[in-house]
Amino acid sequence: MYLFLKQTARFAAWLSIFAGSISVAVASVDDAQSFALQAAEPYVKEGFQVREDFWGGDLGSGEKKAVRQQLFKGNEYWFWLGTEVEKATISVHIYDTEGKLIEQPDSWQKSHFAAAHVIPPTTGSYFIIVSIESSPEERTHWALVYGFR
Amino acid sequence: MIPFVKICKLAAAITLALTVSTGAAEAPKRIDVKQFSKKVDDVVVPLPNEVFGALNKLGGVNWKEYVRSSKGSNFTERPRIALLLGTVIADGFIAVQAEDAPTVKDVGQRVLGLAKGIGVGNSITPHAKAITEAADKRNWNNVRQELDRTQNSVQQAMNEVHDEKLSQLVSLGGWLRGTEVLTAVVNKRFSEGGAELLHQPDLLGYFEDRLRAMPEFNLKLLQDIQAALGEVRPLIDVGENRITADSVKRINEITARIDDAILTKSP
Repeated sequence: MYLFLKQTARFAAWLSIFAGSISVAVASVDDAQSFALQAAEPYVKEGFQVREDFWGGDLGSGEKKAVRQQLFKGNEYWFWLGTEVEKATISVHIYDTEGKLIEQPDSWQKSHFAAAHVIPPTTGSYFIIVSIESSPEERTHWALVYGFR
Repeated sequence: MIPFVKICKLAAAITLALTVSTGAAEAPKRIDVKQFSKKVDDVVVPLPNEVFGALNKLGGVNWKEYVRSSKGSNFTERPRIALLLGTVIADGFIAVQAEDAPTVKDVGQRVLGLAKGIGVGNSITPHAKAITEAADKRNWNNVRQELDRTQNSVQQAMNEVHDEKLSQLVSLGGWLRGTEVLTAVVNKRFSEGGAELLHQPDLLGYFEDRLRAMPEFNLKLLQDIQAALGEVRPLIDVGENRITADSVKRINEITARIDDAILTKSP
């Protein structure tokens, strides 16, 4: 009986490791997007329209990625970044074409979520810099969504 | 007297709160953006209502003047359908600005028809239904969200079957119609703030690049659009200078001409 239990436990452990590795393998930008949207949720009540389109990819720890976005003076924007890797620390910051940080002070970063708030001083292109500051994974999926009002 | 355990718990809570609020590494106040220039991703094309919203804040716009109910011709060429689809979705956003429920519902049905014509109708059916329901309830925020979802679903369905170029034409059609209406509004009551909304040289460059990469679509209309974007470029790519009233008028003429060509059959 003990042997049976031990074997069952081993099988269960093996199964959980196998299932775990599958879930890691199938983790994708879509998962990261759902976390980014989760970060955006409270802002919808404040009148922000969250775009369906988004940016996504994967980065190594310490790597950065820039995306460029057209912003319109008069609108207010939030950019929300998320990853499914809960122990990762990520950040998002917004710069103008001169390289000057232009985000509002209420922009925030909390573990595997980050958000940047911008009220563009002029209409034009801006750089959004996404960074995986640290992560236990070799590559970390990220997704960036934005909303405006 | 406060028990020691309680003090410890309080200290832990304060520490956690401070960690959450200040855990972010300070962002550099300045960066050299040139280091990123080669890594820049494709732009996400703004929705027409993104610019319409900014325009609204500059003063009341009578959006009813810009509502269009013309359905456009029936095309068989997929690039033409894709361009028209983008234009019709933009018309949906204009109808929402005007709070014109019947036109919004027409747009929903028209989008569904065009999406079927291009082979991605299945992904649009639930959105068309949701647009109609939200328009009936005059829930304009929901209509806006559904129009965005519609465009996104169409483009995702196209991307899944490796029709990314058609997906880009949907965005282009929407941008052209949005720009036509933006310039019409600003032309009617010129303001520097309104004209500044046209300062979109990177977006223009993005569309020019995409059109150049579509030689397989041997359509005169696409060549005309490419030439039109070339005409628009010097008018909006003005650096630190302001976009003039004459430029706004000229861009309106160019985009109106192209929009008319998207809607009507031509040889």
